[in-house]
Amino acid sequence: MRDLFTLSVLVSTVAAGIRLATPYLLAALGETIGQRSGVLNLGVDGVMLLSAFGSYYVVLRTENLWYGFLAGAVIGLLMGVVYGVITVVFEAEQGISGIGIFLFGLGFSDLLFEELVGTPTPLKVRLEEVAIPGLGSIPYVGDAIFQHNPLTYLAFALVPIVTLVLFKTTFGMNVRAVGENPQAADSLGVSVAGVRFIAILIGNTMAGLAGMALSLGLGIFQPNLTQGLGFIAVALVYFGAWRSRGVMVGALLYGIVASLVLQLKTRGIIPLEASDLGAMAPAVLTIVALVVLARRIEAPAALARPFSRH
Amino acid sequence: MSKKVVLKLIGALAALVFIAAACGSDDAVDDAVDEVTDAGDDAVDAAGDAADAADDAVDDVTEEAEGAMEEEEEEEGDADDGDAMADAGGNMLTVECGETSSFPAASEPVTDLTVAIVAPSAEDDLAFTQSMVDAVTALGIEPQLTTSTFVVEEAAAAIRGYAEDGIDVVIAHGTQYGGSLEEIAPEFPETSFVWGTASETQGLDNVFAYTPAADQGGYVLGTVAAKLSEAGSIGMVGPIEAGDAALYVDGFVAGAEAEGASVNVTYTGSFGDVALATEAATAHVDAGSDILTGSAQHVVGAISVADANQVPWFGTQSNQVSLSPDLVVASQVYHWEVVLTDIFSAIEGGTLGGEVFELTLENEGLVIEFNGCFELDEEIKGGVGETIAGVVDGSISTGQ
Amino acid sequence: MESLATAPERVENTDVPLLEMRNITKRFPGVVANDDVSFDLRRGEVHTLLGENGAGKSTLMKILFGLYQPDEGQILLRGNPVEITSPTNAIGMRIGMVHQHFMLVPTLSVAENVALGLKPGWRPSTNLGAVSSRIVEISERYGLAVDPSIEVWKLSVGERQRVEIIKALYRDAELLVLDEPTAVLTPQEVDDLFVILRQMTANGRGLVFISHKLHEVIELSDRITVLRNGRVTGHTVPADADRHQLAQMMVGREVVLAPDKASVEPGDVRLSLRDVKVIGDRGTMAVNGVDLDVRAGEIVGIAGVSGNGQRELAETIAGLRPARRGSVVEIDGVDVTAANSATTRAAGLAYVPEERMKDGAIGEFDVKENLLLINHDDSRFLRSGLFRSERMAEHCHRLVDAFSVKTPSLETPTKSLSGGNIQKLILARELDSSPTVLLAAQPTRGVDIGAAEYIHSQLLAQRADGVAILMISEDLDEILALADRIAVMYEGKVVSVLDRPSATREGLGLAMAGATVGEADSFVADSPIADSPVHDSDGPDSDGPESAVADSEVTDAS
Repeated sequence: MRDLFTLSVLVSTVAAGIRLATPYLLAALGETIGQRSGVLNLGVDGVMLLSAFGSYYVVLRTENLWYGFLAGAVIGLLMGVVYGVITVVFEAEQGISGIGIFLFGLGFSDLLFEELVGTPTPLKVRLEEVAIPGLGSIPYVGDAIFQHNPLTYLAFALVPIVTLVLFKTTFGMNVRAVGENPQAADSLGVSVAGVRFIAILIGNTMAGLAGMALSLGLGIFQPNLTQGLGFIAVALVYFGAWRSRGVMVGALLYGIVASLVLQLKTRGIIPLEASDLGAMAPAVLTIVALVVLARRIEAPAALARPFSRH
Repeated sequence: MSKKVVLKLIGALAALVFIAAACGSDDAVDDAVDEVTDAGDDAVDAAGDAADAADDAVDDVTEEAEGAMEEEEEEEGDADDGDAMADAGGNMLTVECGETSSFPAASEPVTDLTVAIVAPSAEDDLAFTQSMVDAVTALGIEPQLTTSTFVVEEAAAAIRGYAEDGIDVVIAHGTQYGGSLEEIAPEFPETSFVWGTASETQGLDNVFAYTPAADQGGYVLGTVAAKLSEAGSIGMVGPIEAGDAALYVDGFVAGAEAEGASVNVTYTGSFGDVALATEAATAHVDAGSDILTGSAQHVVGAISVADANQVPWFGTQSNQVSLSPDLVVASQVYHWEVVLTDIFSAIEGGTLGGEVFELTLENEGLVIEFNGCFELDEEIKGGVGETIAGVVDGSISTGQ
Repeated sequence: MESLATAPERVENTDVPLLEMRNITKRFPGVVANDDVSFDLRRGEVHTLLGENGAGKSTLMKILFGLYQPDEGQILLRGNPVEITSPTNAIGMRIGMVHQHFMLVPTLSVAENVALGLKPGWRPSTNLGAVSSRIVEISERYGLAVDPSIEVWKLSVGERQRVEIIKALYRDAELLVLDEPTAVLTPQEVDDLFVILRQMTANGRGLVFISHKLHEVIELSDRITVLRNGRVTGHTVPADADRHQLAQMMVGREVVLAPDKASVEPGDVRLSLRDVKVIGDRGTMAVNGVDLDVRAGEIVGIAGVSGNGQRELAETIAGLRPARRGSVVEIDGVDVTAANSATTRAAGLAYVPEERMKDGAIGEFDVKENLLLINHDDSRFLRSGLFRSERMAEHCHRLVDAFSVKTPSLETPTKSLSGGNIQKLILARELDSSPTVLLAAQPTRGVDIGAAEYIHSQLLAQRADGVAILMISEDLDEILALADRIAVMYEGKVVSVLDRPSATREGLGLAMAGATVGEADSFVADSPIADSPVHDSDGPDSDGPESAVADSEVTDAS
């Protein structure tokens, strides 16, 4: 108990929270762009699993992180093509299609893992933490915030970038328009299918990065590595009211509460008997926050509605 | 390709068919559902055919390869006998540096019974599922496998499927399958179901239960860890406070405390969340623990933390040396084959269930395997035999 | 495209029509939407396409705008044959379209809505400042006042319409299609719109006007082409046709536009509303203190632009939406304020809801099931808890015949009927219970003239039988034709109640825009009426008490 409130504990709690938040943030930011364009993707978790395995396997064989990065991103992109064809070209019902993608990703990543790897084997090279020059050496703050792996920096750098793209570019305006009123966008010559397809590609590629952040960050893969993380990421998009800053707050809240609970357990402050209750804390807190903070911001009006002219 | 691969491919394809079904418009949904149902039926038929074909192929290959294999295995077996130094009877040994497992080679099958295993995680998980698959294989039996059944309903379908196929012994390897067995077992009175880890048979007379006294090995490892720890503080990463994971934790804590060390226990609340287990282990190291241990398949993350921080690791369920060849001190390994042998002979004698079997140090169902690559002080190691003996004869209580 | 200057005065060979659509045929599975249709448009004219729902007007215009491809036929633009493959393509040919349902993105600003699609998505950004100043320029030139930086959801319906027109003018449309542009406007807003449209034709643009409001068609058009069942059935000019003739051309037979109203002496009060307050979906006070009485043998019409609380008021009367404490709704002297719909029905209410397919009938159910929706548990239809199909069929046959619902069979899915027949079906079901009060919301919206005629005659028959009828309608013609008294709703209040003889289209129009009775008399034309936002988040609570007092006085006096 006496150790808990020291600065160093706080530092490691925040640092761990940020590490835990990274895959959620990457996946949820990608999903934000997708949903802004009116496409719901419940298959995020499946895409993450495929990319997590793909990048893990490539690094396991080549011991080159760049190849792993490329593999993870390309797999995400390819799954984006698949999902785009299903939902945009064939105008399929998105909820069911997403679950299909999830099941496919879950089963196929498991199959590939067992055929190609079998036993969980730790990677010899993994994403290492990099201190940001200057900032990384600030006492405490540097350790907590500026000592992370590159994908974590990327995830947080993407927060303002996603906002910028959505609100300050022609593409972003088109994305918001096709998500709110695709008929209107269509009547002005904006290609609804094209914009949605690109938004899906971006979203799935970011889901791929999220999967990669998990497997390359941990240096290991095993079946169902994500444990449903992708579904939480979809929920975080609602939590964040389709804004990247809100999504970031949600991901950080989730990560930091999880790491705080771990610290409390480690130091015996949460008794063993209450341990399982403690494990629910992040989910419970997120739900409570969602209810309490619920802003009256509505979802994109055309979310999950296939568009066709007829 | 094995039958399992065929089945998984079909699973993946079914997911795609599912997606295709979603492509229909409102009006076409009914049609699509019909089509999917048909397609599903076809797929099942096809799967059966493919699986049969695959089985035949496997049999052929196996037969061809058997001659060669046997010779090799005999050699390996000889080598193992030399490598694995028996320290104190069959419940403790040291695996030579460079080897990863002490499992005896498959010899003559102990029984002609056909066996199937349904288990929740991957067969190579280095933990719960692998320990059972290894055990059955070690008895010379090639089991049919349905693994990675994350969903209980899926597992129930597999259990029922094997029973319908006329498999003699269906091993339902997961506490969570109890409810399904209660329903399925009475429908197949000719089939023997083996369920664990569980300490009762739910009153079903064609169900055997098995459970490891994981506290026993936990106690032994706890004493070793306490002697090894300079800080006197050990970090434990557990999944959920239940079953053999909890037994291991309790035994380990009792053993470590008996030697004057303290154990910080973190139950992550999950069996598979590697990221959370990683952070839990990191928190332990930050808090000053200089020894780590843990259970369930998510410990792969915790072991990597041990590896990165050069902190010794104690494992359970399977030998975990391959995850960190230098830092795994010892593992408590489950040898289900001990109880399985008893169960198979009971079945052959006409008893299909109704009994509970326990894995203990005494019946050598629990084995403490030391890693030859980790240089453990001989004095510490020397005391282990005594501790084991004490646990076996009851002079030492593990707290259970 | 941004660089194109507005140059409508650009003179080309004016003998060549701006647009010629020759022998257009478009088939959909089971229907021929356009059958050998020819249509042309000259510069500087308004050419009206007149026809009932489903006559093929929208299909023809969607072909013009590149949304559909014709199966046969040819399109000539400025004398040259063209193929219009997409809206982008159409916009590039200086064709603009103001859709009936506004094509606006509510969460984007006016400038963003206008800029949408101007630049391809891969271009990094659009200079919204430049777009805004062009919008201001266009606004000033045509009197289309609107703030470019405001988000569209904050605008009134009239303002949204202006944004639609600005979008087309910004793209320098020379040919503009206006699909039912007046459907949601008050009469004054319509007048304003016509001024703008005439200014556009004076500049040499050509307009295609689609409407079924006959007096507007006569007022605005230079030429009129009538479509029926996908075919052109006639051409005329306003000078040669009156409303009656136009209606006949649309329907293809004799039509009674203004039904004869027998004089009926109103009886006792059957429906009484006292200080009714209702919270709407957005959490604001949608109905804010309505007092109104409806007597036996009387039709009270509620006029108003939609979104001013009519829907919430109707739902509250029908027992579908709770009223605030203090409100009183009485049917035949029975307090049903807190009652559910079953109780209000038992008290004598029949309800024809605004959203036919959402609240009035279940599209997937067949005709018989919809006819029995409210009384299938009646003891005469049941034997030991099971349906007596032959009695049900008999009952339904009687209703279908009595209300001339055109359906192939009682087992036909309701959604495959026309809007008019669905409405007749609902009316049949509702009137079968011999109600004392009939609440009819938008009874003829989207319904063909024949069915509307029939529904009107049924409403008048009910009136003659002594039923108290509260009719909510956005269609002023309908209100003026049927109602004995007219109440105008604005921002959740009844701002004026007039006896039919003293009501004029202009007076009602002003009241619909928020003017109270007194003001309406001395109203001057350039009032900023159209600028009042429909979605005023401050809520109508801020209104002064005077109007409420005035309302109740008027109500009491009547």
